[in-house]
Amino acid sequence: MHLPEIDKYAHLDSPLRRWDARVKLACLSVMLLAVALSPTHVAALVGLALASGLVLLSRIPLSFVFVHLRWVLLFCLFLLVVMPVRLAAGGSDTFWRAGPIALSGHGLSRATLIALRATGAMLLVYPMFGTARFHVSLKALRRLRVPLVIVQILAFTYRYVFVLLDEAARMLAAARARGLGRAGALRTFKCMGYIIGMLFVRSFERTQRVYMAMLARGYRGEVRTLDEFHLRSADLLKGALALGATALLITVGLVS
Amino acid sequence: MADNNQGSGIDSEVIVIKELSYTYPGGAEALKGISMSAARGERLGLVGPNGAGKSTLLLHLNGLLRGRGSVEVCGIPVTDGRLDEVRLKVGLVFQDPDDQLFMPTVFDDVAFGPLNMGLQREEVERRVEDALSAVDMLYAVERCSHHLSVGECKRVCVATALAMTPEALVLDEPTSNLDPYHRRRLIELVRGLDMTTVVAGHDLDAMLDICDRVVLLDGGKVAAVGPAEDILTDRALLEAHSLELPLSRQS
Repeated sequence: MHLPEIDKYAHLDSPLRRWDARVKLACLSVMLLAVALSPTHVAALVGLALASGLVLLSRIPLSFVFVHLRWVLLFCLFLLVVMPVRLAAGGSDTFWRAGPIALSGHGLSRATLIALRATGAMLLVYPMFGTARFHVSLKALRRLRVPLVIVQILAFTYRYVFVLLDEAARMLAAARARGLGRAGALRTFKCMGYIIGMLFVRSFERTQRVYMAMLARGYRGEVRTLDEFHLRSADLLKGALALGATALLITVGLVS
Repeated sequence: MADNNQGSGIDSEVIVIKELSYTYPGGAEALKGISMSAARGERLGLVGPNGAGKSTLLLHLNGLLRGRGSVEVCGIPVTDGRLDEVRLKVGLVFQDPDDQLFMPTVFDDVAFGPLNMGLQREEVERRVEDALSAVDMLYAVERCSHHLSVGECKRVCVATALAMTPEALVLDEPTSNLDPYHRRRLIELVRGLDMTTVVAGHDLDAMLDICDRVVLLDGGKVAAVGPAEDILTDRALLEAHSLELPLSRQS
């Protein structure tokens, strides 16, 4: 089955892959924040261009990026359709009217800004987390003082999301083999509810077994790992470039 | 009570269980006064029908479950204050690799135990390399567990326990879900280990290959103890406890 692995192309050589994961995550997090908070369309467009450039630099196939990005784009499309609609008479920014329905320029402008911000921010996730193995990114997050509990939740989620998806697929296949979907929508929804409930029960039971396996190997409340990061001048230079680009983005937002 | 050491011929006992009983919180009585032992270097098998109490018994060897009666590992009583010591002595391998392998990579999983032992980086790395070499899985050191085949996962599971250099290795259904080739490799791996080994399972052919001595459990009690060859070829005894002769002995 399809597994949504963000680090599927982490093996591809690129300047981003060779970048120390700690510096990369720190600098690109700042950039992501700046993109997500772009105050103007021009700034959001610059942010989108920066993010697209980094995706190209990462060499991650665009088809892979689009597989996940399409959901964001669909959401943005929904906003672009819904946000401009006004049911009242409309204000001075109305640019089209049909009976009681009017389209507002201000609403369209807001929707466009949100769409640009969301697409840019989503694109930045790929250079951040798609250019290093996920466990390396997690160790980098820990070194960046992200709270242990958050890193552990991310690590266990990433480890077990595949197990959970496999289990769900098996249960669905078994249900389909026994006629799921043939007895009407209500019955199907009811069965889906049972399946989801059973997944919760099985997941809970698994957490108990995993916890026992951890205790059996000496776990006493903290998951310890070894990591190896080597900071080089090239990493700092890339960091400076990324922060410079972020500063430019913020400046564009302030003056445009 | 049967003579629990019949057939072992070895004096030094690594695991000693006396009158162990355990009832699950729901009320199911899983173990009823079990007494048995495993000698140093011995390969002991636990067989029995579903619900016999095999897995429950294994969890007591590591102090993960605590029942009435006593369990000693290498002379250390399994009590609250000494669980850390006990868990250094007993390496436990669970049936489902997805329970045993919970870390992002094979390296992190095998290093988990040694790191909890407080070992230095060099020693941890050496142990990971040794343990993975012992199970022929060194090539997968940087891989994620969910990218491994079931056979590879099972071998890495054994490595996670070996890396802690335990006195005794405890395996729950080690050959389940394995194809014939990987099953044979796992049997050879366990046979090649130079340590006390307790194996629970339904694969009686594997038990015959691996074990020196077998304990037959049924209904939470010891039904029979003896050399593997004697117990696992006794058709009447096996059928009386919902088992049957190993395929290799059916003619």
